Amino acid sequence: MNTRILKAEFDYFAPASIGEALALIAQNGPTARFIAGGTDLLVQMKLETVAPGCLISLMKISELSVLKREKGFLRIGAAVTWDRILAFGSEDRSYPALDDAVRCLGKVQVRRMGTIGGNLCTASPAADSAPALLVYDSRVRLVSARGRRTLLLDKYFLGVQQTARAADEIMTEIRIPAPRPDVGGAFQKLARVGADISKISCAVAVERKGRVCVSCRVAMGAVAPVPLMIRGVPEFLQEKTVTASLLVTAGRMISDEIRPITDVRSTAEYRKQVAGVLFRDVFQKAWTRAGGEP
Amino acid sequence: MKKTEVCLTVNGVTHHLGLSPNALLLNVLRDELGLTGAKYGCGTGQCGLCTVLVNGRAVLSCLTLAVAVDGADIVTVEGLSRPDGSLDPIQEAFLDHGAIQCGYCTPAMVITAKDLLNRNAHPTEPEIREQIEGTLCRCTGYLSIVRAIKSCGDRAGAPAPRPSPMKKSR
Ligand SMILES: Cc1cc2nc3c(=O)[nH]c(=O)nc-3n(C[C@H](O)[C@H](O)[C@H](O)COP(=O)(O)OP(=O)(O)OC[C@H]3O[C@@H](n4cnc5c(N)ncnc54)[C@H](O)[C@@H]3O)c2cc1C
Repeated sequence: MNTRILKAEFDYFAPASIGEALALIAQNGPTARFIAGGTDLLVQMKLETVAPGCLISLMKISELSVLKREKGFLRIGAAVTWDRILAFGSEDRSYPALDDAVRCLGKVQVRRMGTIGGNLCTASPAADSAPALLVYDSRVRLVSARGRRTLLLDKYFLGVQQTARAADEIMTEIRIPAPRPDVGGAFQKLARVGADISKISCAVAVERKGRVCVSCRVAMGAVAPVPLMIRGVPEFLQEKTVTASLLVTAGRMISDEIRPITDVRSTAEYRKQVAGVLFRDVFQKAWTRAGGEP
Repeated sequence: MKKTEVCLTVNGVTHHLGLSPNALLLNVLRDELGLTGAKYGCGTGQCGLCTVLVNGRAVLSCLTLAVAVDGADIVTVEGLSRPDGSLDPIQEAFLDHGAIQCGYCTPAMVITAKDLLNRNAHPTEPEIREQIEGTLCRCTGYLSIVRAIKSCGDRAGAPAPRPSPMKKSR
């Protein structure tokens, strides 16, 4: 494998509008692909796991680079790079789980290049933005020649690198509803070194009233074919007074619910063992934050 | 494959090049322009040795299509020294602190440091460590590299007051 060069030959376009990009994907046939930062796609092309005949860059389309708060939700354009989201998160602390995730996503160079849309379109089970976006009940907006649609992120991931997005659909933005007051969030990943892909990751958003968990959402990465919304624990914790032993039970429930595999990064056994512990740590962090602490 | 004209300003000099879409920025810099400072290490983004500044931001030139940075301003390690040959303060600091051993990571390490110092004249040690996390040194001279970058920040004058990060988390 020669990763020094890109062997494949392809055409390249960098349209300035969504209309042009959609026309180009229609004209260039089934092997045409969109490209944003290229940190996933160019690696895959070097490793020859994909061979697009045409690349259509989305980085010159201004609509895809919005990053702003609107009434009731935050809009993040699909082509927004991680470093912009990181800078936003240090000003606006509404989404600490997302902020935690971006802080440990890749390294400086990857955060300057990679985009949130690229992360969700590659749809790795270990995609670090996914658990945080899932616990905040995010939606993704897609556009194609057939029109625009909005999907709950929870309905978007279908399998390993499989999503509900059609090949000719552009992801335009991610919308994250503003969390209710008294919601705290956190995310943590376990990896060999910080800049590495996760062995396992966990995000929690919890609404707290004193010592009672009013409601919570939990999602995990790299424990199933898709970034996984945990179903059992939120119901179990709802309206309960939070104690250490309650969280141990919740952690055990999570180890039972997840379906991890053994791969180059970790073993299924380790992932099952550590999932409950990781959940407890992340829950504690989110819980403290819901109490108004840093 | 059709060649397209790509305009790159590298270290202040503008070049008009006829390039195929699959030409990678790293190879254009090294093979077309003779700037061999940026290195090929892994080719997949793991090692960071190909780091250059594109419009002031440190990126991986081995994962950057040259056509995608048409019109950009690019700085490689060769562009840091002044026209009279004197070195940039960060280069001086690497020499002063013995932050260079085999030298293979040095151009990328210096550029990675520059990306930080351009935005933050007085980085803390944790900020420096986070910044260089993705630029690997196999002689493991990290301690002296961190010291060199730190000294550069210290030398830039008294640290600016930092805003308090005590905002309420939600
Ligand atoms: C060294 C290194 C470290 C990394 N570390 C991490 C990490 O810690 N955590 C993590 O989660 N990931 C990591 N990644 C993976 C990658 O950087 C991220 O997934 C990144 O967000 C991908 O974004 P991109 O813009 O580079 O995507 P690209 O490579 O440009 O695109 C990825 C895929 O999405 C499609 N696509 C992109 N944007 C759109 C859109 N708007 N609409 C439709 N299709 C689109 C492309 O066709 C392609 O199939 C790492 C990668 C490298 C090289």
